[in-house]
Amino acid sequence: MRVAVAEDGALFRQGLVMLLEASGHEVVACVPGGDELVAALANDPVDVALLDIRMPPEPDGGLVTAERLRAAHPEMGLLFLSHYAESHYLVRILEIGTDRVGYRLKEKVGSVEVLSDTLSRIADGEIVIEPVLAKRLVEKPRNDRKDVVAALSERERDVLKLMAEGRSNGGIASTLFVSGKAVEKHIASIFDKLGLHGDASVHHRRVLAVLTYLRSQRGES
Amino acid sequence: MTPAVVVDRNPRPGRRPDQPGSGDAAVPAPETDAREDRRRQEERWRRRRSLERQLHDGAALRISSLALRLGVLENGSVDPDDGARHRDIAALQDEVAAALEELRAVASQIYPPLLHEAGLGPALRELVTARQRDVVLDVAADRAEPAVEGAVYFALADCLEASGAPLAVRIRREPGTVEGGDIVVVVIEGADPALGPAVLDEAGPLGGTVDVEGAPGSAGTITARFPCA
Repeated sequence: MRVAVAEDGALFRQGLVMLLEASGHEVVACVPGGDELVAALANDPVDVALLDIRMPPEPDGGLVTAERLRAAHPEMGLLFLSHYAESHYLVRILEIGTDRVGYRLKEKVGSVEVLSDTLSRIADGEIVIEPVLAKRLVEKPRNDRKDVVAALSERERDVLKLMAEGRSNGGIASTLFVSGKAVEKHIASIFDKLGLHGDASVHHRRVLAVLTYLRSQRGES
Repeated sequence: MTPAVVVDRNPRPGRRPDQPGSGDAAVPAPETDAREDRRRQEERWRRRRSLERQLHDGAALRISSLALRLGVLENGSVDPDDGARHRDIAALQDEVAAALEELRAVASQIYPPLLHEAGLGPALRELVTARQRDVVLDVAADRAEPAVEGAVYFALADCLEASGAPLAVRIRREPGTVEGGDIVVVVIEGADPALGPAVLDEAGPLGGTVDVEGAPGSAGTITARFPCA
């Protein structure tokens, strides 16, 4: 896979390049900031760009850079790496794009297998979210509001959590040790309870289900 | 404490010559003390914010890059059946992740980065979500200076820490009644009035006030006012 790295910390940037190369990926650009990345990829897009969120241009250069990259090269995958896994940033990331995006903690991509799996899922069009964040958001909803997610059964919540991590139906089925049919049934029920009907594609509704959940957590209607 | 004779060597540009205490150094006017307190508080919050940044750019980044180096080491293992080596490296990776988790916990006690980057609303929502708390937040989007945002955030964090009661928190930036800056008004409904002093610990140094309604030990209302510069 062809990739590019933008990260202002030299040590982490070097480590990331070493691990990417050890994983057999071609690092075509390795720069300390967002503006440099946009310039480097202007005529030479990659499969996935890896971006630090908190880098120049300050304060969250990774996000503004990603917006520019998504506008210029809609097919290019975007993987955000951060020291923090926070729903605030996840919602902003999902506003930039709801496919070919990932958000992971810096220390959690520290093996060839995890890094390559994350990159190939993004290149395949999935959303990849740090599991600890998806878990925190979905597992124990706050009981202060009768939010839509409270209407879900425990098993449906498990399924939504895995959807929030960007898993496919097959991935959800094997993780929960249930059949693909059962997963489809749960997802249909989740869409129903969250009020997601109509003509939207299944992929689109998956994203809306996750966003609905996240927004309910942020106190937006 | 403040010396008997106060000489303001650095009059701020916003200060008007007709304000008492501006030219007469012989009598320390109360406002000069208040301004000096305020300046010290602002400096204190600035320092906290820069400490968090130092942790993020220094130790945290260095330790995160160790995770990547370990990944490279593991991949370089010649013998794919060397299970012990893989287990050792996996254990070290877990230690690295645990160290970073501890650093994040410390950083959030110093100055949450989200507070600096996105303000009180997002930072408080993240706090409430992370602690799985039953809190309804109604926060106006207006930003305030780091000292005020920091003081409000930690006053509320203390309230959440001290009691598990469901709370409704409303935060607004309002025009000040006296001449000077705006006031950030924080109304905490459902809070034990006994928490008033803890809130005053944060509001007081900025020249703010705290009013409580209700009997200690019951669900009351705490209203805190944090003046902006």
